[in-house]
Amino acid sequence: MATKMNQTNNQGPQFEVLTESQIEQIYASALDVLESVGARFHHEEALELFNNSEAVVTDKNLVRVPASLVERALRSYPRSIYLQGRNGKNQVRLVPNEVAYGTGSDLPFFIDRETGDRRSTSYKDVNDAARILDYLPNYEFHMSHGIVCDAPNPQTYDRHQYLAMLENSTKPMVLTSVDGEGLEDLWRIATTLVGGEDEFRLKPQFVAYIEPISPLNNDRTAVEKLLFAAEKGIPAMYTPCPSSGATAPATMAGMLVQSLAETLMAVALCHLKKPGMPLIMGGVTTVMDMHTTTYSYGAPELSLACAANTDISKWLGLRMFSTGGCSDSKTLDEQTAVEQMTSLFYAHLSGANLVHDVGYIGSGTIASLDSLVLNDELIGMVRKFCEGLNTDEDHLALDTIREVGPAGEYLTHEHTFEHWREWFMPKLQDRSDWDTWNTNNQKTMIDYLKEETDRILNEHEPEPIEPDQYKEIKKIVHEADERHS
Amino acid sequence: MEEKLGSISQTLIEGKADELQKQVQEALDGGATPEDVMNQALVAGMDAVGQQWKAGDMFIPEVIRSAKAMSGAMDIIRPKLSESGGAGSGTFVIGTVLRDLHDIGKDLVAMMMEGAGFKVVNLGIDLDAEVFVDAVKEHKPDILGMSALLTTTMPQMGEVINALKEAGIRDQVKVMVGGAPVSEEYAEEIGADSYAPNAATAVDKAKELLQA
Ligand code: B12
Repeated sequence: MATKMNQTNNQGPQFEVLTESQIEQIYASALDVLESVGARFHHEEALELFNNSEAVVTDKNLVRVPASLVERALRSYPRSIYLQGRNGKNQVRLVPNEVAYGTGSDLPFFIDRETGDRRSTSYKDVNDAARILDYLPNYEFHMSHGIVCDAPNPQTYDRHQYLAMLENSTKPMVLTSVDGEGLEDLWRIATTLVGGEDEFRLKPQFVAYIEPISPLNNDRTAVEKLLFAAEKGIPAMYTPCPSSGATAPATMAGMLVQSLAETLMAVALCHLKKPGMPLIMGGVTTVMDMHTTTYSYGAPELSLACAANTDISKWLGLRMFSTGGCSDSKTLDEQTAVEQMTSLFYAHLSGANLVHDVGYIGSGTIASLDSLVLNDELIGMVRKFCEGLNTDEDHLALDTIREVGPAGEYLTHEHTFEHWREWFMPKLQDRSDWDTWNTNNQKTMIDYLKEETDRILNEHEPEPIEPDQYKEIKKIVHEADERHS
Repeated sequence: MEEKLGSISQTLIEGKADELQKQVQEALDGGATPEDVMNQALVAGMDAVGQQWKAGDMFIPEVIRSAKAMSGAMDIIRPKLSESGGAGSGTFVIGTVLRDLHDIGKDLVAMMMEGAGFKVVNLGIDLDAEVFVDAVKEHKPDILGMSALLTTTMPQMGEVINALKEAGIRDQVKVMVGGAPVSEEYAEEIGADSYAPNAATAVDKAKELLQA
């Protein structure tokens, strides 16, 4: 039988925002910023590390870094990172073009499911969100969906959030922390679970979320966390949150140059501290709405800049923490669905590794459990499309077409039986006819969503945490509360 | 003269800072009272800017350009107003509270207040209660603004209010608070005088406070 040669098969659509020459332009400009503008660091040890290298520190804390140092540093970072859940399962592989989804973090407000109103977020809310996330198949990792406002002390809320998530979920996490001490406690909890510091390095269970202050400014607590992560080999992302027009240039390319410079500063610093930590690139790169002043989570520019950033990350050989599934709408409505779906699509097409902030409403201030459930369905649709299609013999179905012939039907054919389950199966969408819909109380997606959220909350029982481990973790959290009381 | 004042308003709306200063100076030299320039030209111009912004006909970069121009014009008008015993729009001190590093919202409020004719002192971020108290003593503002973007730093605003009380100067200044997690109820709870969810409303609320 003849065999095929020189085939190009697209299993999945191909998508790029930037060409290689454009990436090179942006990269060269970022290096220029590092050499000619520099960044501020409000941290003694960081300044010392830079001072003892070929970087130049002037005006007390203004650091300029030569390209040579950045390039040397870039080569030392791992190109793939494997995360896992507390039971050793649910691995997330950060390799190029493999996309995982997760929530965003620390929302101060929660939509109360009884009243429909927004109120401040509690420990129980973070519990519920974690339980739902543990259940929903299209999310691979999570962050503390809300900020625990009823923690005993504002300086220890990060430990309580981790605790709430661990109790309810076995998926890997991305964690925010109050400061270096907070991160150390989170890391101690994880090493307890995984069996020590060295084991954690091999099987990290969380990524530390850290941010610079755009433009080109690095505060003490952020740097403290970064240096601790570098020392212990904790995966971390240094994720700029610029708002174009306010804390970054109003052009997307300018914003990308600036945020890349911010990232490369961390690349250089962590390398000087200790080469080789799993550093992840990030960015919530968006515009400030010039009518309302809102930092927009629903703007198409967010998707555009994030996808371009992902192109850059692949070129640099760094893995990417991106943004999608979020909205500026205050409630679940048409705007929410449109904005969340759009950004999910582009994030997926870009091939980012960890897509976060999924489910956000209210421009990063409001959490909604129903929104999390909605996005699970949306991600399912996106994944189906981005899978692309198979053109092997079986899928070309020539034999079947021959067998059925003109004016036949496929419903009763074995080929249909074998393949129709490859399709996307809607859970929350109504495809019924008018009469059926009418007799079914004219239910819409929102109704199905609420029922599904209720069902998960009632039925899903996460795999419990080992009692001994739980005790130890509680102890670490308790000690932190004591220290800060 | 009326025509001249109208053209000053127009220059302000267009945000031409140098041109505006020139025109204001000319009007004063030509015999217009500082009060007339202030109320009939500048305030009228900024009111128009505010209305166009709310209607979606002007946007932040344009509004800020006008606000900056206004601030430059006020530098000329303010000393003249106090000479003639008239009042300017008052002084506004603003800062972000301790352990909070969010500054862009606070800066926007500061710029819009300048646009409303206030003399603005922007203290910066991550500020101790003491800094606020000292600033109130030093600048004697009509309004003190505080910004907090984190639920964990919001309580600091209450601390500052308490510190003002302890220093015996709470009744000398109106306190206004804002930031994403802050709400009307929270403002009331900590004993602030006013709250605004965004920079546009902040200006309206500040004017209300001055009239009260
Ligand atoms: C950009 C941003 C940052 C930037 C800030 C850069 C900068 N130069 O300001 C960076 C990256 C540094 C940052 C850091 C952090 N952030 Co932040 N940040 C944001 C974000 C996305 C947008 C804020 C913004 O710029 N909005 C645009 C401006 C124009 O609006 P605004 O600030 O709300 O101001 C308007 C009004 O509120 C009002 N207003 C503001 N101040 C005042 C004052 C007065 C007197 C009045 C009348 C009105 C008023 O008028 C303004 C203009 O219209 C918000 C999400 C959000 N939607 O708010 C999170 C957010 C505020 N951050 C959050 C968090 C958790 C953090 C971190 C703790 C993360 C971490 N663990 O590392 C750190 C904390 C750092 C610190 N110690 O302060 C949470 C807050 C949760 C909570 N605890 O309540 C939010 C809600 C996002 C989230 N869900 O995670 N952040």
